[in-house]
Amino acid sequence: MDLVQIARSNLEGFRYAGTEVALCVLIVALLLSGVILPFRKNRRLFLIISMLGLALAMTASLKQPGAGKGVRYFADLFLWDSFSVFFKLFFVAAAAFTILMAQMNREVEDYEFNECCLLVVSVTLGMVLLASSVDLLMIYLAFETMSLLSYLLVGIRFREARGGEAALKYVLYGAFTSGVMLFGFSLVYGLAGTTDIMEIGRILNSAHMAGQNRALFVLMVLFFLAGLLFKTASFPFHIWCPDVYEGAPTPVTAFLSVGPKAAGFAVFIRLFYTLFAREVGDQGFAAIEQVDWPAIVAVISAITMSLGNLSAIHQDNVKRLLAYSSIAHAGYLLMGIACLDKLGLEAVAFYLVVYLFMNLGAFAVVTAVNNGEGGEDIRFYRGLSARAPMACVAMAVFLFSLIGIPPFAGFVGKVFLFSAVILKKYYWLAIVAAINTVISLYYYVRLIKAMFIDQAEVSFEPRVSGVSYAVIGALALPTLVLGVYWQPLAAFIESIF
Amino acid sequence: MKNFAFNVFVIITLIPSFWVALSSNIVHAAFSLFFTFFGVAGLYVLLGADFLGVLQVLVYISGILVLIIFGVMMTQRAQMEHISTRLPGRFAGAVLSVLVFGGFMVAVYKTAWPKLTELPEPVPTTSEIGNLLLGKYLIPFEVASVLLLAVLVGAALIVRQSVRKE
Amino acid sequence: MADLYQKLVMLLGDDLTVLILGIVLTLGFIQFNSLFLIWLERKVAGHMQLRLGPMEVGPHGIIQTIADGIKLVGKQLITPRYVDKWLFMLAPVIVLMPVPLAFLVLPVHPGVVVLDMNVGILLIFGFSTLNVLTILMAGWGSHNKYSLLGAIRAVAQNIAYESPLLVTVITAVLWARSLNMSAIVDAQDKIWFVFTPWGALAFLIFLISATAETNRAPFDLPEAESELVAGFHTEYSGMRFAMFFLAEYTNMFIVSAVGVTLFLGGWRGPILPGFIWFLLKSYVLVFMFLWFRWTFPRVRFDQLLGFAWKVLLPIALVNLVVTGGAIKLIDLIR
Repeated sequence: MDLVQIARSNLEGFRYAGTEVALCVLIVALLLSGVILPFRKNRRLFLIISMLGLALAMTASLKQPGAGKGVRYFADLFLWDSFSVFFKLFFVAAAAFTILMAQMNREVEDYEFNECCLLVVSVTLGMVLLASSVDLLMIYLAFETMSLLSYLLVGIRFREARGGEAALKYVLYGAFTSGVMLFGFSLVYGLAGTTDIMEIGRILNSAHMAGQNRALFVLMVLFFLAGLLFKTASFPFHIWCPDVYEGAPTPVTAFLSVGPKAAGFAVFIRLFYTLFAREVGDQGFAAIEQVDWPAIVAVISAITMSLGNLSAIHQDNVKRLLAYSSIAHAGYLLMGIACLDKLGLEAVAFYLVVYLFMNLGAFAVVTAVNNGEGGEDIRFYRGLSARAPMACVAMAVFLFSLIGIPPFAGFVGKVFLFSAVILKKYYWLAIVAAINTVISLYYYVRLIKAMFIDQAEVSFEPRVSGVSYAVIGALALPTLVLGVYWQPLAAFIESIF
Repeated sequence: MKNFAFNVFVIITLIPSFWVALSSNIVHAAFSLFFTFFGVAGLYVLLGADFLGVLQVLVYISGILVLIIFGVMMTQRAQMEHISTRLPGRFAGAVLSVLVFGGFMVAVYKTAWPKLTELPEPVPTTSEIGNLLLGKYLIPFEVASVLLLAVLVGAALIVRQSVRKE
Repeated sequence: MADLYQKLVMLLGDDLTVLILGIVLTLGFIQFNSLFLIWLERKVAGHMQLRLGPMEVGPHGIIQTIADGIKLVGKQLITPRYVDKWLFMLAPVIVLMPVPLAFLVLPVHPGVVVLDMNVGILLIFGFSTLNVLTILMAGWGSHNKYSLLGAIRAVAQNIAYESPLLVTVITAVLWARSLNMSAIVDAQDKIWFVFTPWGALAFLIFLISATAETNRAPFDLPEAESELVAGFHTEYSGMRFAMFFLAEYTNMFIVSAVGVTLFLGGWRGPILPGFIWFLLKSYVLVFMFLWFRWTFPRVRFDQLLGFAWKVLLPIALVNLVVTGGAIKLIDLIR
């Protein structure tokens, strides 16, 4: 392509990049309004600006591409297809809920709120770019945009011992694993000679490559896994997760457990199903012959969920408990990726949506309890139902949904995942997952018991504001509705793969 | 001649990088990076990427390395603090690195890399890089600047916090 | 001579011969230049303060510096007990390393340049900023609080002034449309860059930043005698100290030569041969540095940093944009 053509392609690309542009505009708006001194501590103003910008981004990403393989834009670095549109919507929604939670949260102080919004929006921009990029260079850049800025978000409480520890652990693990992943990228580039992942996928899956270069393929898969398993908080790169989740301000924790984690899964699917697998027939994929990576992912999935659930049992700190629970859920989600067919991917996408609502909801309640004199320890939850009944009921809904009990959305999500696994004849994996669900029952119900049955240990007045109730309600509603009326979402998700 | 130069730069890169990893004096480790970066710049130039090589010196040595050393010096008791792991840790690390290295060697030598039929003559790369940055890679370039902007804001946020505490 | 050159070419090939000759000549010139500049500085200082300066050794003290050099070589090398031996020894050795490299890409005469590199100007700045690293080495290695303070000041100051300096260099590069030093000189065949309005401003910023980059007064805070003894080279004696001295004066010349190449048309000039013009212009700039030192009082450190970040850098950036616009405009008119 000559320069004029590229310039034209770059200009035309803006038709498909509505979300990205809206987020960039929002970043600039936040930056400029934050400079004006009288506005510095005005939480409501920044909240309104953020919500307007995110609503704009949301509407911009609503436009659906028709059938077919989507459109390449920005000099072929990005792809506009239903997959990326789905994840764009997902990330923008996660950002909106996070900012709402941050607004009602007292851990984020007034003078920090502007920067906090700005960082959340920037991380979202990174995730949105990640979902739509199909070029190794751009994928890495978007990945780092997301990572670097989430390190900073975790480091908002840097001067406090826990916050500093959390930020440092996150940075050190993150830098190491993304470096390893970058090394994997370089190996792929060396073998294929291009950074366009569609093209690389074609070369790696071509007939004359079949069965060759086994050692290199093993290395590539392992290196890719390092970066992706870190982002999704899966074994063996899950160790940072509890400390980071505990040390970060609660809204940030909530955001990390949903946004970057889902982004990790998005890029996981994009990379592995393009580079190391090819479509076979209507519904299935076939992995490359050199490495049986679906088996590796299945084993990792089993270990991850068992580790997460077993470690969660002894946790008295609710944020740590939810951290281990999020590790366990990463394990469940990995099952769907190991399935290697469209059913599995649909189950992953569906479960991610459900997870967005129920996990953010649980953290929203934690945030509400944290305000005032409350804390994160389970002591504060004992007998809470007498003083904040609505919040406790909502929390119970979220926790039951996280376990996967009917009639909540989590149940439907788990059914999709399990059926995909069983149809693929991974019986052992399904059994492990079932056992894990039972284990998880223990620690979730322990928290519910503390709230509804135990006697109050610490007496404090939880200050749950109207906004908090609105947010919690807005998250509880889909958790309930999706449990009984899931067809529209399932149909939508079926259309994206 | 070119092979000789290549070997020299490889040695300049590798030996100090051992020092970086093994030295228990953190300041020495940081200064050893100087030679590593320098060697890498030399390798770039040998591979025909003159612009990249010089930028490597400009950005990594006189920018990033100076900041690293500055950071190390500002750390309290940097000279007294000896950062070395205990012997079992070192042993495990050594075994692991040997294994990884072995894996690499196997992978690299057993792979049928696509080879260039002939080495192209080194050409000036500066204008080519400029065209790519303002053409095909314009959007990544801009994304990087958004990233840097947000990182600046975040860094200011963290620093301001410590200022307010005092 | 010509015969010897032929033999060398047969033995080593064309490029290598030129390179080796270039390095040898450069090293010779560095020695001469430092000797001359140190004498010149003392003379200029003397006359500006209504003294005569060195008068004893040779006519007008012209070989005073040689005598000083012999004294320095003969002096004992003192290594304090608690220094970090590696860094302490290495710093004076590598302080001179980047200097000859910078000389190699300077076009000194029509068609005479040792390494005609496409990225010549970047190479010079890449290597001349290594200076900071050696200052850090010396400052940390000396295990002395004055040294460390001097080194820290040097780093903060160098980072601050490197930014406007590089922006002005980019301005000149934009005007010449090349990073190649010879091409930059060629581009000034009609008009020297300094005679354009934006070029004059860029040259002014370049001059100020270069003074700070070479740690010269009024920006000599890294070695401010009245507060830090001698800054980063407090603990160095004898030949090691001489190395730092040598590097400082050589850097001064390099910065001037780069300024001449970028803004003052390099070797261009009427009647006289090119290399004479080149040297003449460079030494005029060097003289300006000496002039600054003996006329301006030392600034305060916060003023120093504030001036770089808040004044020089914005002006330099705006100037860069203006230059770009002007180039486009001139293109349109043609």
